[in-house]
Amino acid sequence: MLPEPYQRAVIAIVVAVVLCLPVFSGDYFLHLMNLSLIAVIGAIGINLLTGYCGQLSLGQASFMAIGAFSTAILAQRYGMPFFVAIPASCCAGAAVGFLVGLPALRFRGIYLAITTLAMHYAIIYVLTNYQAIVGPSASAGITVPPPSIEGFKLTSERGWYYALLIAAAAVLMFSLNLARSYIGRAWVAIRDRDIAAETAGVNVPRYKLLAFTISAALAALAGSLGAYFTTVVTVEEYTLELAIIYLAMIIVGGMGSVVGSVFGAVFITLLPFAVQRAFDALPWHFGTGIFGVQEAAIGAAIIGFLLLEPDGLIEIYRRIATYFERWPFRYREIKPSGAR
Amino acid sequence: MELLVSILALGSTYALLAAGIVIIYKASRVINFAHGELAIVGAYVFHSAGFLTGTTLTALSLFTAIVVAATASALFGVVIYFALMRRLLGRPTFVAAMVTIGLAIILKAAIVVIWNSRSVGIPIGRQALYNFAGGGRISWIDVISVLTCAAAFAALAIFFQLTRLGRQFRGAAENPLLAAQRQVNINLILAIAWSVAVFSAALAGVLFGSRSMLSPQSTIIGLSGLTAALVGGLDSLRGAAIGGLLVAAATYLTARLISPTLAETVPFLILLIVMSWRPWGLFGTVEEINRV
Repeated sequence: MLPEPYQRAVIAIVVAVVLCLPVFSGDYFLHLMNLSLIAVIGAIGINLLTGYCGQLSLGQASFMAIGAFSTAILAQRYGMPFFVAIPASCCAGAAVGFLVGLPALRFRGIYLAITTLAMHYAIIYVLTNYQAIVGPSASAGITVPPPSIEGFKLTSERGWYYALLIAAAAVLMFSLNLARSYIGRAWVAIRDRDIAAETAGVNVPRYKLLAFTISAALAALAGSLGAYFTTVVTVEEYTLELAIIYLAMIIVGGMGSVVGSVFGAVFITLLPFAVQRAFDALPWHFGTGIFGVQEAAIGAAIIGFLLLEPDGLIEIYRRIATYFERWPFRYREIKPSGAR
Repeated sequence: MELLVSILALGSTYALLAAGIVIIYKASRVINFAHGELAIVGAYVFHSAGFLTGTTLTALSLFTAIVVAATASALFGVVIYFALMRRLLGRPTFVAAMVTIGLAIILKAAIVVIWNSRSVGIPIGRQALYNFAGGGRISWIDVISVLTCAAAFAALAIFFQLTRLGRQFRGAAENPLLAAQRQVNINLILAIAWSVAVFSAALAGVLFGSRSMLSPQSTIIGLSGLTAALVGGLDSLRGAAIGGLLVAAATYLTARLISPTLAETVPFLILLIVMSWRPWGLFGTVEEINRV
């Protein structure tokens, strides 16, 4: 997988920097990193579905909501420990993903997106009613106790950083290997031309459903970890905007690239904070308008990347890497198609 | 009776929204996810133009508002086409749909930045035109909504059926390449499509704003319009009108009879039913390509 020494060097540097990050940075920055790591898991999930299998989905937020609510119910009402609640939430997400994926057997492209959009609202409606019944009031969420083992409670930002790092790294390795396996290649075949994939012997319905199931399981994992991390679950968090933000992450990062989703997730998560920082530096005051600017930045990122850099940040990275790889020559090697 | 009037008035708003989505879809096979945002921004522009000089709407300021909103929305449609959509010709249509999602986010943010998310209403035609014995009433705006909508659909039907440009439009929608080879100016056609669509969206937004308060959250009506368009069939104007009425009737009756929270979800339940039963809608062309 890593044929060139420079690639190993890059990986080693990245790992070292990521591991040492808490030593140099404060709690605020680590908090942002933790949010990014949760987003990374969700973004990888939607990238497997949309980037690899080519199934446009606006249901990511509802899958995350399923994961978060499952966790809240199991941890808060039934007092389950996290090592039961998290896998159970993933299973719940996978089951819902399977159901939402069923229409994909009939529709393609934009029609599927609209169907998942409708599913999103149906799921959120059910959860809204549930929250109104279970929560202290209709608008207040369900609180989630911090994950604990043997009396040790995970509450500090630094502890969370390493825990989420392990989870994100596991998801990253799992997805990288999955993408290279028969399953990943079957997905790419379905994305590129489903009829051709079927002719080549790919069981299209089965792999489409598998993509939905795995994607939803990862989204539910992100939702579950997010529930533990923020310690409160409200249905208002899981809007259509969130689903679009996750779509934005993979557009910005690079469709059909696991590593790209990491870039995209970090980029989109940090973008609002970067905008705020930039506006704080300006001499005049903006008031609540800043929220609008933060959102507009995400919309602008979607449009900008789709128009100017459709393959996302990962393509920019690839260009830079290829430049150094081929230096002093100017031409890049011709890569076999599908090697992403 | 009052129920029927309300459904007709709300239905005409949805039908106008659906008409815009249908026009864009017919011309370029792109589904516009920014339609609700375009409608509400149009309504905000109308409001700002109307209340530019004073705190009450006079005949003059109403006239100014209409002119400003109409010109701005028609121009904005052309700008959207040339700035964004033209660059996406030849790319998969879902890419263009995602660009409209990006546009939707920016427009919604614009309401927050420019109008500070202020909740505004457009007080026109609130006076009762006719009072029923049971306490219900028909206001001017109900009648205006229905008439405007009918006029807009009539104008569109005449445009498509009778004018030379309308025939070229239909040709371009059917087969862009062949149409282009027969000297049809595709850029002009698509720019007109966007212009008319954004204009009708703004009109729908103003009608919506005259009945209920406007806020960034009202952009959700775009999804009702999308549902209406899908119910009727994405490439059928007649379907848009009937779909709009159906969605309005279902939403309104649910809000009245069952619960208002369920009513917000009703368009999407209709959507699911339609998608599983007749994905091409009531009057749409059966598109084999969208089915596996």
